Amino acid sequence: MTTETKRAADRPAEGGAEPHPTILETSGVTLRFGGLTSLDHVDLAMRRGEILAIIGPNGAGKTSLFNSLTGAYLPQEGAITYRPRAGGEEELRGRKPFRVSRLGLARTFQNIRLFGALTALENVKIAVETRQRTDAVSIMLGLPHARRAERDSDRRAHEVMRFVGLEHRINELAASLSYGEQRRLEIARALATEPELLLLDEPAAGTNPTEKHDLEELIRRINTELGVSVLLIEHDMRLVMSVADRVAVLNFGRKIAEGTPGQVQRDPAVIEAYLGASDEEEAEAVADLVADLDAEHADDPEWRGGDRAAEGRSNDGEERP
Amino acid sequence: MTATDNTPTTGAAGPIGSKRAAEAARLRRTAWYANPRFKRLAALMGVALVGAQVTGEQGTNRDIFHAMRENMTGPGLWLWVGACLLIWVVREFLRAPVANAWSTARRAGTGPAERARTVWRRDPRLRMLALTALLVFLIVLPFLVSRHWQQVLVDQIAIYVLLAIGLNVVVGWAGMLDLGFIAFFAIGAYSAAFWTGSLPVAPPFELNNFAVIPIAVITCLVAGVLLGAPTLRLRGDYLAIVTLGFHEIVYLMAKNWVEFTGGTRGASVDRFSIDLGFFSYQWGLDPRPYYWLQLGFIVALLVLFIRLEHSRVGRAWTAIREDEVAAAATGVDTVRFKLLAFAIGASTSGVAGVVYASKLGFINSEFFIVLFSVLVLSYVIFGGMGSIPGVLLGTAILIWLPEFLRDTVPAQDRYMYLGALLVIMMIYRPQGLWPSRRRVRELHMAEEGTATRAMPAAGGRPATTGGDTPS
Repeated sequence: MTTETKRAADRPAEGGAEPHPTILETSGVTLRFGGLTSLDHVDLAMRRGEILAIIGPNGAGKTSLFNSLTGAYLPQEGAITYRPRAGGEEELRGRKPFRVSRLGLARTFQNIRLFGALTALENVKIAVETRQRTDAVSIMLGLPHARRAERDSDRRAHEVMRFVGLEHRINELAASLSYGEQRRLEIARALATEPELLLLDEPAAGTNPTEKHDLEELIRRINTELGVSVLLIEHDMRLVMSVADRVAVLNFGRKIAEGTPGQVQRDPAVIEAYLGASDEEEAEAVADLVADLDAEHADDPEWRGGDRAAEGRSNDGEERP
Repeated sequence: MTATDNTPTTGAAGPIGSKRAAEAARLRRTAWYANPRFKRLAALMGVALVGAQVTGEQGTNRDIFHAMRENMTGPGLWLWVGACLLIWVVREFLRAPVANAWSTARRAGTGPAERARTVWRRDPRLRMLALTALLVFLIVLPFLVSRHWQQVLVDQIAIYVLLAIGLNVVVGWAGMLDLGFIAFFAIGAYSAAFWTGSLPVAPPFELNNFAVIPIAVITCLVAGVLLGAPTLRLRGDYLAIVTLGFHEIVYLMAKNWVEFTGGTRGASVDRFSIDLGFFSYQWGLDPRPYYWLQLGFIVALLVLFIRLEHSRVGRAWTAIREDEVAAAATGVDTVRFKLLAFAIGASTSGVAGVVYASKLGFINSEFFIVLFSVLVLSYVIFGGMGSIPGVLLGTAILIWLPEFLRDTVPAQDRYMYLGALLVIMMIYRPQGLWPSRRRVRELHMAEEGTATRAMPAAGGRPATTGGDTPS
């Protein structure tokens, strides 16, 4: 069963009815915590097979959106429609997290949440095995199909570990891996559930430039080789601009812009959100400045202009009720 | 994460600095008695005083200071003080050399113990051989001990081992605190009594004790699911209280529903018997045949449960125990797996109940008080949660200890020693006697704060560090 789904994921949908071009659609999603509105009527449409990045200052509601999509939070209003490749429509709002995962949405966490006392391979096996249906009694009796399922999960977990480039660390404890490797292991665990849509919550946070570069490549490979659509939250603007097909910008729970990386970069509303410009002239001046700097440093991999801007703004963003 | 805490220790050099430094050094110097070493000595002397008092003569009504006077002047005190002093000397002055020698030998891989260990690790056949030898030893064990110890083996150790194996699934593997485990034991025992026609209420048809086992398993399974389904979304303390309440309900029903259970007067239960036509056997008063029967049950359950531990189910339980949110996000049906653990534990307890009732030939409500739930839990924790050998060993030792002390200390003091052992154990070895590897790692991570979850979220932090783990 597991291998079949994988093969299905490998090839772009062919034959039969063409799957709906929109894989995920949120309309009017609103999430409130008491008086605080974390998400305010967010409308977002994600195309099948694209890499969509969500950016925004700290506290803009990016992770809240992820939690709402995956069933960890229950938004008070709105609809989240998910269209699996197999056809049909699923309403995700109010689904239990494990059901969302089974529909084909996998996620990673901003603050890494691995099972630290288990080995790296076991972490991935747990994810593979959520797609198996072997019952406890056959396992206890050691029936042939239970043994076969165990072998399958082992093989599949090895495959995934090879894909993310961690095959040399499979027997290490998850907690003893380096930070970048832990990030990669989290992605491996998510991939092992054979998702159609992968939600990455700041995968580059706390990684060094080399690891960032590897990560960028990994995200591209997940997108092209496995045919998985990727929804990405990231603060590292260089990564976002280079990897994302489209970018959506959130600020105070509202979507303020959406478009290609180039469009978004020039959007005055976005620049205002990040730099807090008070009037339009200033915003324009800043936009020009940013464009100039971007052109100047286009070849310099160390330059992360947007990111620095995000940090400058971050404190204000968190304190606003 | 960053090296910002070093500032206070540096600086303060120069002419004024040296004077200040001397002053600071004087202030920083601790008196000799404040040295932790001497604090430990004082604590051990306190232990010696209490020990001498506790193990010495009993008091009398006529002279209230009699016991204290006798015990503080007699030889017992000096024995205790001497023993404690010896422990202190060894611990404080001889520990480092011994530990060094040990670790050198260990690293070098020399020494007979180390060589044996490597051979042991390399050869699975050797392990099988050792297990077989252990099993043979356990089979012949009743021939080697007195009738009293045979009774202890059958009535207590084997029964509690069965219970502890079941509770280990719930507490050790799935990580749920269950304080009402004996409730299912009671349900199993009363099922045995009911279906063998021993209760005041007649069953629709009478069954052999062995045939009751599957029925008891199913009854406990249903009871476990009925209790678990609405309550397993609770975590930790809340679940413990719910299970405690469930236990109390079952106990009070056993006690007060006299028309059905016989209450405190109890009911006599048929003992085990087999009648296959060509072969029939009746278990009687001799404890040994029960022991072998129980051994069979224990070994069978162990085989089943060990398979479970190293399967998708065991891994899912570990995942839930470590991080329920991440497990659910990965697609683990957390409620279903918790319910499974609860039901497996409950049915094991039910089997133990049938065996217990069929051995004693008599049950009443007072066999199922809350204390026993707590005892089973302490056996599991003492042995090492989640570790099968640990649980077996822990149960055996904690039952053996009070029985052993029966001849050496006043009867009413026995459980005090048990309590002291548990307290000391939890302070110095909280992971248990023979802990499971996964649990040890978890404990380490919790202590050092290196659990993955405790790592920095590092929102937009510029990444300048190398590839090493930030810690």
